[in-house]
Amino acid sequence: MLDYLLNGLALGAIFAFIALGYTMVYGIIKLINFAHGEFFMFGAFLGFFVLRDLGIDRLPLPQPLPILLSYLVALSAASLGAGTLAVVTERVAYRPVRRASRIAALITAVCVSLILQNLAVKAWGAAPRAYPQPREWTDVGALDGTAEANLYALTRFETTDGTVTENEVRVVAAGEPIDDAMRERLRAAGHERVYRQVQVGRGWTRGFVLLALALWAPVLWFLVKRTRMGKAMRAVSGDTDAARLMGIDINRVIAWTFFLGAFVAGVGGVAYCVSYGKVEPLTGFLPGMKAFIAAVIGGIGSIPGAIVGGLVLGTAESLIPYALREGLGWEAAFAWKDAIAFALLIVILVFKPTGILGKAVREKV
Amino acid sequence: MSSELLFWLNLLVGVGIYTLLAASLNLINGSAGMFHLGHHGFWALGAYGATWMTLQGGSLSGPVVYVSSLIFAMAIAALGGLSIGIPCLRLRGDYLAIATLGFGEIVRIAVQNSPHDFLGGSLGIQVPRVLMKVTPKTLVAFRVLTLSIVAVACAAAIVTFRNYLRSMPGRRLLAVAQDETAAGLLGINPTRSKVLAFVMGSAVAGLAGGLYAHYMGGINPLNFNFMEMVKIFLIIVLGGMGSLSGCAVGAFLVVATEQLLNRAPEAIASWWQVLFPLILAIMIIFRPQGIFGRREIRDVWRSWRRRTA
Repeated sequence: MLDYLLNGLALGAIFAFIALGYTMVYGIIKLINFAHGEFFMFGAFLGFFVLRDLGIDRLPLPQPLPILLSYLVALSAASLGAGTLAVVTERVAYRPVRRASRIAALITAVCVSLILQNLAVKAWGAAPRAYPQPREWTDVGALDGTAEANLYALTRFETTDGTVTENEVRVVAAGEPIDDAMRERLRAAGHERVYRQVQVGRGWTRGFVLLALALWAPVLWFLVKRTRMGKAMRAVSGDTDAARLMGIDINRVIAWTFFLGAFVAGVGGVAYCVSYGKVEPLTGFLPGMKAFIAAVIGGIGSIPGAIVGGLVLGTAESLIPYALREGLGWEAAFAWKDAIAFALLIVILVFKPTGILGKAVREKV
Repeated sequence: MSSELLFWLNLLVGVGIYTLLAASLNLINGSAGMFHLGHHGFWALGAYGATWMTLQGGSLSGPVVYVSSLIFAMAIAALGGLSIGIPCLRLRGDYLAIATLGFGEIVRIAVQNSPHDFLGGSLGIQVPRVLMKVTPKTLVAFRVLTLSIVAVACAAAIVTFRNYLRSMPGRRLLAVAQDETAAGLLGINPTRSKVLAFVMGSAVAGLAGGLYAHYMGGINPLNFNFMEMVKIFLIIVLGGMGSLSGCAVGAFLVVATEQLLNRAPEAIASWWQVLFPLILAIMIIFRPQGIFGRREIRDVWRSWRRRTA
């Protein structure tokens, strides 16, 4: 039960990260930025490339510092990259439709999302890729006794077109004794070093995600409430025309908002993929939708609302199926968690469309 | 020769089914002005409803099963439209879009997680051939027969929608679409008008689903994904929101482009997925009224004749 609650909170924290971007953009230009999930996916991919090229899976464990540093580099690359993509997207696709009807803007957003998704398929292929994880390496000579987990080695092989790929092969199964004969066999096959998979514990990822949210939320709050740019953002969201008359550069404020939203989403993207262990071009679609639901639950346009909504949705998605399974004996309840999220959205929209922390506005939704 | 004929028959059946989908979405989005993004959900409801009914058919004669499964498909989609319409149609604009999109996703998730022996789950399900035996030899006959049924269905749907829009309830709907408050002050019940249009639209989408299931002979939850929704949307934006004949023209343009691109080498064909959202975005930015706007083919023809005369 506690485990499900913590899982839900960690997932909710990721939703909160993405929802922040939705809510900030909506607050300023009243546009549901469907492409936000794709910024998230882009960040996750950048993080993937950084982690892979830094060779996080090659680091001899235990070495906490290099691992921490690689994750930091990956997170910064992901957030900066996603932010840049968001600014470019805003300039190219959203600025031309800013004065068009809201429906036209919304359709453009859906299209941008599909275009980015399919460009990612073109660039990186549709197949999911395993997210790099640290491994624990040891020398074959140092092995002794009984293997307590499966041991693997990397083998390189060349395909006919000349590309070199690496495959992992299991060389010792858990429980097998490691004696001189085994060591000889491993050396003969060319495996000087072997490793065992380190499952980054769920506890660690959960802690990491919640900590990241706890660190980010005040920074964001500071940026929006205490800086000149934040003041300008709030002014634009209150009344765009009046803000323009006061000499605020609207375009800069909007670009900055997009950047900030995607910056946070990039962090969420890496966190999400680290905890699910894979990344693919469609990674952004479902979390993007869920984050939008979270933003609506919390009250769209409100930053604390996005965080509350994210945590509520994550918890609900984890605890409601749990309750259904334990209480009603419905085994398949967890397969329906996405449907539960959408049903929650419809219920919220019908009964309290302004969300938990949203301000009541005159426009009827 | 035969394969060429089969290709074009297949293309035309596709055009017909997408015309039905587009015409029904057009009634909801174009005429009634509701921003509905869950049409693929009704399409899937119809397709799976028809499949289920066909499987129950047993020893009844083929055409009876065929027709009753289509009626059941329409009924179940209409029921879906009613149950989602009553709570959601009080929402406006973006919120309605998200809520209906959520509905479409719920349908897909429900089918994907259904037990294997009920709706086939994520692997899809076979639809028994009840209309006629389909073998490589009779394939042309089967496609011609389906094409004529689809054509009749399209004509019936378009005539029904046109007459509906000219009738009293249809006029009420147009009034509500233009200004809900003003229409309400004139004594029109806006929610009722909107729900009625929504239910009609979803029933026709269900019919398209039933025809599709029988034509394909097998359906899969992935046939009804969000990309399909965007494709239907592209059709009505191309043809012009609110124009019924625009739907047929748009459906032809979109389906023909897709099918012809599919024959091209893989390197070109795979760009379709990028291309069609791009066309939609460009259309919506530069010519949001589409090819026909709210006009019908006949109006365009008349004004063209006047100009050349």
